[in-house]
Amino acid sequence: MIVSRNGLVSRTRVLTAPFNLKAAIAGRSLAFGLTLLIVSYLVIVPLITLLYASFKSTEDKLPFETTATTLANYALVFSSPATLPLLLNTLLFTLGSLAIGLPLAIIFAWLLERTAVPGRTWIASLVLVPMTIPSLLSAIAWIQLLDPRIGLVNVALRGLLGLSGETGPLDIYSLGGMCFVQGLRLVPSAYLMIAASFRAMDPSLEEQSAMAGRNVAQTTLKVTLPIVRPALLAALIYYVIVVIESFDIPGLLGFTARIRVLSTAIYWATHSEVGLPDYGLASALGTIVLVLALFLMWIYHKLTAHQERFATITGKGYRPRQINLGKWKLPALLFCLIYVFIAVLLPFVMLLWTSMQPFYAPPSMDSFARATFDGYLNIWRDSNVVRAVWNTTVLAVVTAVVTIALSVLVSWFVVRRRRESGALAGYLATVSFLPQGVPSIVIGLALIFVYVRFPIPIYGTLWIIALAMTTRYLAFSSRTTTSALIQVHGELEEASQIAGASWLRTLRKITVPLLAPAMINVFFWVAVHAMQELSMALMLYNPSTVVVSTMIWSMWQNGRTADAAVLGVMLTLLSALLLLGGQFLSYLRRNSYR
Amino acid sequence: MIRIKDLVKSFQGAKGEVRALRGVSFEVSKGQLFTLLGPSGCGKTTTLRCIAGLEQPLEGEISVNDRTVFSASNGTFVPPEQRRIGMVFQSYAIWPHMTVFQNVAYPLASDLSRRELASRVEQILERLSLGGLADRLAPNLSGGQQQRVALARALVAQPEVLLLDEPLSNLDAKLREQMRFELKALHESLNITTVYVTHDQEEALALSDQIGLMHEGALLEVGAPTELYLRPAHRITADFLGTSNFVPVKVKSSGMQAWDEILVESPLGVFVARRSVEWREGLPASLFFRPEYVDFFDRNNPSNNGTNTGTGVVERVTFLGNSADVVIRCGEIALRVRAHPTRTPAVGKQVRFSVAPESCIVFPGS
Repeated sequence: MIVSRNGLVSRTRVLTAPFNLKAAIAGRSLAFGLTLLIVSYLVIVPLITLLYASFKSTEDKLPFETTATTLANYALVFSSPATLPLLLNTLLFTLGSLAIGLPLAIIFAWLLERTAVPGRTWIASLVLVPMTIPSLLSAIAWIQLLDPRIGLVNVALRGLLGLSGETGPLDIYSLGGMCFVQGLRLVPSAYLMIAASFRAMDPSLEEQSAMAGRNVAQTTLKVTLPIVRPALLAALIYYVIVVIESFDIPGLLGFTARIRVLSTAIYWATHSEVGLPDYGLASALGTIVLVLALFLMWIYHKLTAHQERFATITGKGYRPRQINLGKWKLPALLFCLIYVFIAVLLPFVMLLWTSMQPFYAPPSMDSFARATFDGYLNIWRDSNVVRAVWNTTVLAVVTAVVTIALSVLVSWFVVRRRRESGALAGYLATVSFLPQGVPSIVIGLALIFVYVRFPIPIYGTLWIIALAMTTRYLAFSSRTTTSALIQVHGELEEASQIAGASWLRTLRKITVPLLAPAMINVFFWVAVHAMQELSMALMLYNPSTVVVSTMIWSMWQNGRTADAAVLGVMLTLLSALLLLGGQFLSYLRRNSYR
Repeated sequence: MIRIKDLVKSFQGAKGEVRALRGVSFEVSKGQLFTLLGPSGCGKTTTLRCIAGLEQPLEGEISVNDRTVFSASNGTFVPPEQRRIGMVFQSYAIWPHMTVFQNVAYPLASDLSRRELASRVEQILERLSLGGLADRLAPNLSGGQQQRVALARALVAQPEVLLLDEPLSNLDAKLREQMRFELKALHESLNITTVYVTHDQEEALALSDQIGLMHEGALLEVGAPTELYLRPAHRITADFLGTSNFVPVKVKSSGMQAWDEILVESPLGVFVARRSVEWREGLPASLFFRPEYVDFFDRNNPSNNGTNTGTGVVERVTFLGNSADVVIRCGEIALRVRAHPTRTPAVGKQVRFSVAPESCIVFPGS
């Protein structure tokens, strides 16, 4: 025992274990290698397999059962008379949805961020509510409202306008109907994205214009819009991809309307009502969509790469000057309220109503008397529902846990190894973001090809669905954890190393706790998306791996409208609860040390 | 003690490879406080991080207390967690999700008993006047307290070596001065071998046993603070430490040894000075002296033999409180003089001044 001059008793523990450089470096390098391998496997293998399959002639076989390489699949696609209408429909559906969704999103972003419209915070929350309703269910709700024969709005309009006849005046089963439902669907998330760019703008730029003697309208046109234009362009491209990828709404509405877009065409090629599945055609279509989406994603990436660099620097919480609307205050409020009524309240109430009517009837004194919550109890008698709920729970939890774990590792190597192994870190960043441009239906299709013949026996199990979703959500998840990690000063981790902690201990004790707020948010986001996701599950499920979303889909196809609504309402409420809970937990965690 | 030999390190920059360290060598003897001083980007922090093991040099050798922790020639690299080093980072790097106690207890070995752990942490907290703050979360501390927590955490496991990376740069001026004295007292009582990185010359002069002046990835010269300040061997050192006057001169005659007297001809007149290195007559050179070693002539102090004197006109007087900064114009040359705050000549007045030969140094080059 040494007593030093200041009286501190020195009993430094001498490290007895022999120094082992290899073991120390190996742990981290091994994790790096594994992360690279897993991410490459998840993202690259399915895409290559899909491409390979598209060049194999099939003739009602699976692509790997034949050996001939051929362009027949592409020839079929490009010579078929069905192709031109298919592309045209996809184009019109995309343009129509964007024409409805984006202007609304821009108006809300501007009203709620830059003006003093009354009740701002309430309206801002209400605009986001539809995010909790699965798109499959909003399609069902709108069918109940706008079905040409029994749709509530149509019935009411016929009465109101004194129209004769059994149908009309509005028809949801049309390209216009699809665009309407899809367009409203885009508003909440597009609003968030565009509002963020309004918020990121330096308000002094607008104030400078005011100082130069320009009024609000001139400033908005000459300063505000040009500044946010790149962000708006990026949002436009991003939502083109979202609409092209969209499956639920064109799947449900287009089925009755006999209108197919690229994503649903892939599904129907593999789930033909009449013949055998045509995997060759599906893979050719899938490759075309994939190339298109990846190209758009590349443009989006180019547009936003510059923007994001600034986003991390300017985290300042300045509040821009709010424009006084004057006499436009009331019309603006009215506009918001009408939107909330039509886009938020009406579909949800309709869904609730449907779930309370064992045999569907439009609202009346008579049917009101018959309304019952019995459906919510009776549904559990169906053993398939119980299985679906259990499967969904497992799927959501497993997908969220695996995705978040993988994302943290990806982020760590992307951010902290950039200097030592720049090329590999850059590769990891790119590949983990790639799935953002891979439509879900394409991932589902590609995984069929991979695992039907692959030695890992997961085809037909829940795990293949979890794998598909992990791949798809890795992009969003790793991006979120990466921007969170950039905010964590590297010296916090180095201090832990200096204090004698290994890489793994540092990750566990320092990095993960500091990333916790972002991780909690991502966890719930992925879990809710996994619960609601339809297209990947639909491509990959079988009767024993049925999940809630596929259950609702088949209930609807089989005319079990009330049951579909019951499950839908429960799914919506649970989603809302989880998203709010996640926000709250993340908020608590963040405030515990800020 | 720390021994560093021929350290070379380069980074991949945007414009290709950047040499951060070009063969840095020095030794820090046991219990010394050694300061690496230099402008930002000179490689001082990189050197410190190499000692810590946070950077891996390309070439060279580092040993701490006769244990080689890095050697390029035989491929030794001891990772930071096994170097038994304490370090205070510029950002303090206090973990915001932990209390002060948890922060400080972190470096202690996990096989300590709970009671022993608590007593060790309490001792060091007490020593750094942090008693009573143990349960506070780190972000609820003031800048000075965070700095102490970082120090406590660096010292709690009684490391062999303490590394300090600009530890005072985030504090305001008043607190910085106070912490400077506390650091000095702490180092004297603990007697721990310390490497201190700073760009602040005052800090370096006040704290160090030895200062190593770094410039563009190389260690220019090493010496005690007075040595470096009063007799810098390089113009860069003279320029970086304190305020300097440089006057272009021609060498008239010189002795053979370094620090011998030398006669130079300057626009101000003939000066006797010392020179830093050996050279030949007739070469262009710079005469260097500090503003505080310039004396004004007045009626009370008329004696002078003619050398080392000059005349000029007072151009500007700036009152600084404890002194005054006087600018004297001598033709093309403007000299800075540190004068007594109340006994300064008036602006526009012609003055004569002298600089003692032992305060003048001649450097090669103009």
